[in-house]
Amino acid sequence: MLDAFSRTVVSADAKTAPVGGSELASLRDYVRNGNKRLDAVNAITSNAYCIVSDAVTGMICENTGLIQAGGNCYPTRRMAACLRDGEIVLRYISYALLAGDASVLDDRCLNGLKETYIALGVPTQSAARAVAIMKSAATALIGQTNTPENGGTKYRKMETTQGDCSALVSEAGSYFDRVIGAIS
Amino acid sequence: MKSVVTTVVTAADAAGRFPSQNDLEAVQGNIQRAAARLEAAEKLASGLDNVTREAGDACFNKYAYLKQPGEAGDSQVKIDKCYRDLGHYLRLINYCLIVGGTGPLDEWGIAGAREVYRTLGLPTNAYIEALTYTRDRACAPRDMSPQALNEFKSYLDYTINALS
Repeated sequence: MLDAFSRTVVSADAKTAPVGGSELASLRDYVRNGNKRLDAVNAITSNAYCIVSDAVTGMICENTGLIQAGGNCYPTRRMAACLRDGEIVLRYISYALLAGDASVLDDRCLNGLKETYIALGVPTQSAARAVAIMKSAATALIGQTNTPENGGTKYRKMETTQGDCSALVSEAGSYFDRVIGAIS
Repeated sequence: MKSVVTTVVTAADAAGRFPSQNDLEAVQGNIQRAAARLEAAEKLASGLDNVTREAGDACFNKYAYLKQPGEAGDSQVKIDKCYRDLGHYLRLINYCLIVGGTGPLDEWGIAGAREVYRTLGLPTNAYIEALTYTRDRACAPRDMSPQALNEFKSYLDYTINALS
């Protein structure tokens, strides 16, 4: 498993060159925006249950066949497995966001996930849709772009200092896209 | 690669939980000290060749017998390899300063070093002398700020202890 720092080191070692100059700039960015990153991780972890359950609910609302007899979220045992998987995926994304590197997500979550889903008969298209909904919810919480209209009764505003979080929003989004890409 | 972040994530993953407030605080502590580490890494990287040469020269000055026939530095090729190895140690220290932990030194420098040196009949005292010279030669604020120097020297000491 690597983080943003050890990723730089591993690629420098391949060239047997020390890390200096321009490569340090991106690491200094990580350090300078460290508190923003921790707030972003906190935005995901504090709302994990809401993000996951909304995503699975949304996925089912769009495709009600899933909870009819024979659907992949019927009976509750399989629905529970679905909620559990959503939480696991979100957890690994939160690790990747904390580390600033996707290796933990790749190695421990995505490696072989598609093959497992195919073997178990899980519809990967529906799974990808749930991850996409998690992406909208998580990025809205990190960037504080959620509105009472969109949030409804689940509306939540994170009490953090206002600032430009666009880089972290797109980084977090890229991890969700990575999951979608890996299973579809 | 062991670092503060990967340690925290490994522990959280083993327990199957999201990163907790404790985890975030641990990473925050690492970030606070990062500026000094990155400064030390930058200064070391820019002066790596000079530092390596000075350290190697100090070592051959103290142990002049190494250049005698049959010893570890009896040909230019072998002498060059000594300087190369010192450069590797300093480069790994540069990596440790980047990562904020001893992972790179442990995995790429120290693991197996004792066995290799014994097999090749190389004196580890010579490396210790070179790294000790570097440690005592470095000074603040000429080379880097005091806090950065402190970080740099702690990894030099770690390497020296591992070779002793």
